[in-house]
Amino acid sequence: MAIRLKPVDVAVIGLGAAGGVAVLPLARAGLKVAGIEAGTWMDPHKAFHADEVFNNVRGGVTSVQKANREIPTVRENASSPTRPRGAIHPMMNAIGGTSIHYWASAWRLKPWDFKTRSEVEKRYGKSAIPAGSTLEDWPLAYEDLEPFYDTIEHEVGVSGKAGNIQGKLDPAGNVYEGPRQREYPMPPLRGTEYTEHMMATAKQLGWKPFHGPSAINSVAFNGRPGCVYHGYCGRGGCHISAKNSTAVSTIPAAMKTKNLTIFDLAHVTRIQTGPDGRASGVTYIKDGKEYFQPAKVVLLASYTYENTRLLLLSQSKAFPKGLSNNHGMVGRHFFSHWQGSPVFALFPFNINVWYGTPAQTTVVDDFADDNFDHSRLGFIGGTSISLGTEMHPIEAAGMQTFGRAPQWGSKWKAFVKENAARWTSSYLQTSTYPYEQNFLDLDTEVRDPLGDSVCRITNANMQNEARAAAFGQAKTEDWFRAAGAIEIIRGGAGSGGLSTHAYGGTRMGDNPETNVVNKWGMSHEVPNLGVLGASVMGNSGARNPTLTAQALAWRTAEHLIKNWKSV
Amino acid sequence: MPEEKETGSVSRRSILVGAAIVPLTAIRSAAQTPQTALTSDQFKLLDAFTDRLIPKDENGPGASECGAANYIDRQLADYLKGEKDAFIQGLAATDAFAQQSQGKPFVELSPEAQDAVLTAMDNGTATGFTPNSRTFFSRVRRLTLEGTFSDPYYGGNKGFAGWDLIGYPGPRLAVGPDEQKMHVAIKPAHLSAWGGMTSGH
Repeated sequence: MAIRLKPVDVAVIGLGAAGGVAVLPLARAGLKVAGIEAGTWMDPHKAFHADEVFNNVRGGVTSVQKANREIPTVRENASSPTRPRGAIHPMMNAIGGTSIHYWASAWRLKPWDFKTRSEVEKRYGKSAIPAGSTLEDWPLAYEDLEPFYDTIEHEVGVSGKAGNIQGKLDPAGNVYEGPRQREYPMPPLRGTEYTEHMMATAKQLGWKPFHGPSAINSVAFNGRPGCVYHGYCGRGGCHISAKNSTAVSTIPAAMKTKNLTIFDLAHVTRIQTGPDGRASGVTYIKDGKEYFQPAKVVLLASYTYENTRLLLLSQSKAFPKGLSNNHGMVGRHFFSHWQGSPVFALFPFNINVWYGTPAQTTVVDDFADDNFDHSRLGFIGGTSISLGTEMHPIEAAGMQTFGRAPQWGSKWKAFVKENAARWTSSYLQTSTYPYEQNFLDLDTEVRDPLGDSVCRITNANMQNEARAAAFGQAKTEDWFRAAGAIEIIRGGAGSGGLSTHAYGGTRMGDNPETNVVNKWGMSHEVPNLGVLGASVMGNSGARNPTLTAQALAWRTAEHLIKNWKSV
Repeated sequence: MPEEKETGSVSRRSILVGAAIVPLTAIRSAAQTPQTALTSDQFKLLDAFTDRLIPKDENGPGASECGAANYIDRQLADYLKGEKDAFIQGLAATDAFAQQSQGKPFVELSPEAQDAVLTAMDNGTATGFTPNSRTFFSRVRRLTLEGTFSDPYYGGNKGFAGWDLIGYPGPRLAVGPDEQKMHVAIKPAHLSAWGGMTSGH
């Protein structure tokens, strides 16, 4: 029998990027919140290292091995075999979750991203919508989310330069962004000679480059220091807490209210349902014992794969196919962000991108979203191009040799000696859409150590995204060439399998026949169940997802607070 | 509140905040007497293999002098122990193929003959490997890169020779604009992340 805990108002499953922000407004409003987290606290000095083997080769930054024991399987389509299973889960477990080791790029989506279907149909006709796509307009507009983007930027802390304050454009920022009510709370991260060289080059090409926004302090903010650019940010934790994970920003603030109780090292196994069809609470295992945490409201805030898996595993009389899945929509409208189309460039001089962070960028949006005429291009959406810093030595020595040298021996050695500090790659993010054929479900064979099926990813690369990415790669080649690169080559394309940018599975929308949650992030079928994270998003934009997931999470929390008596 | 004890996270938080401002002495965890996985003959073969991938020449020390095989040997007893058996089988297959194609064990061959063996493995034409020679060659190449260019803490990159070869200036606690300039060689810090940095992070 599970040990029954004292009931709370809200049980939040997962204290990562999304759950870690939702607890703050809830706790401030006086609701009693249980934060149930698989991982625990990480001490920046014991757990975070300026070490490529630890961070990038071994995936060492995680406080417990939960995610790595339930790595999803991946197959291209329903009849293809699953690929060999990955060794490292892209996400991690800890209080703060993957906001500890992410790149901290902190983008708002564009107004166009929220109404892509109707805008595309209006400008290019219904036939322009990619075949097989299940794309819908979002049930909310950019303007509805703007106040929450603003809240996150100030509560969590985001560095950047506004390009559009209440309609007034500033070319120092991103002039393609939607109007924002005010400037970022901190200026952008420092530019480097390389990022400034690329900025000047983009301007010569007639483009509108800017420094990308990031949830990293560029200056001291909220009692924590500014970034020191030491170069171990990607998959690494910040040794001085300048990266604004929820572990150093919103979670400590929520704890100050005394209304948040954290249950760490707690492995959630099921969301329980009462006879009335409402969620009754959460079952978890800690130290080999089973506990039941009753709650008036349950907010599911693990990662995209686990959000779907936990719902499908939580079967009951009222929900025989899994919780909130009587319409069969859990796991549908899944998509994996197309971010695997790099362009590699070799310069005839040292560019020294060793230090810094991947968020220390120059970005162009001229080929993203609907910022250009797609009439004859054969695709919708587009690609943002980010050029950043941070290069580690094993990665550098494993460089592309551009056909100029063999892969080993003295000639290779002479090549990397000359060129390891002279090359870089680009980071391209392409708008990605949901399709009928791509989905998540439970694997029929592979199970986790508790005996529960792991999540199975069925994901094929689609033609619309391939074309949009290739278009972005061509522009990236132009950019590098104009900047003086002597060799340029495209890397492999695709949206991959396991991803840090996985979306959907519990999509948000007004229509309960095609969506799991409503415009507030609450289940259509279970009125006291909410879902937080990028799993509610219906398309990706050409942006990293975290800031949007956080803004939506705060909005769901605020909706609960305002409607507490009727939930 | 709940029956279960709280995590004591308030006090945990104060430690975190303290840690960010109070310098700690260097932490040297693990690796006092590292375990190894290979016999002396297996090690010699691997060492010679890695030194053909990154040979000692006019551009400086090779993989052997950098301790790449030492890195791999320790990994196979530790983080990579799951692939130890397959790796040892690959080494045995390399020697068998050297004997069969060049008439001697790998370590007794001239550098040119060793390169002929490795080229056949790289091309996937060498026989006797599971699943194929290319897979094993690529794995040794990848681990040789790791051993030569990783933090010296793991037993390779001796004297920072690997980092000096490619001009990687090493981890620093803080980096200023001068260390993010183009056209120059950044001055090496020659520090390990696991010791010699004041915070020991």
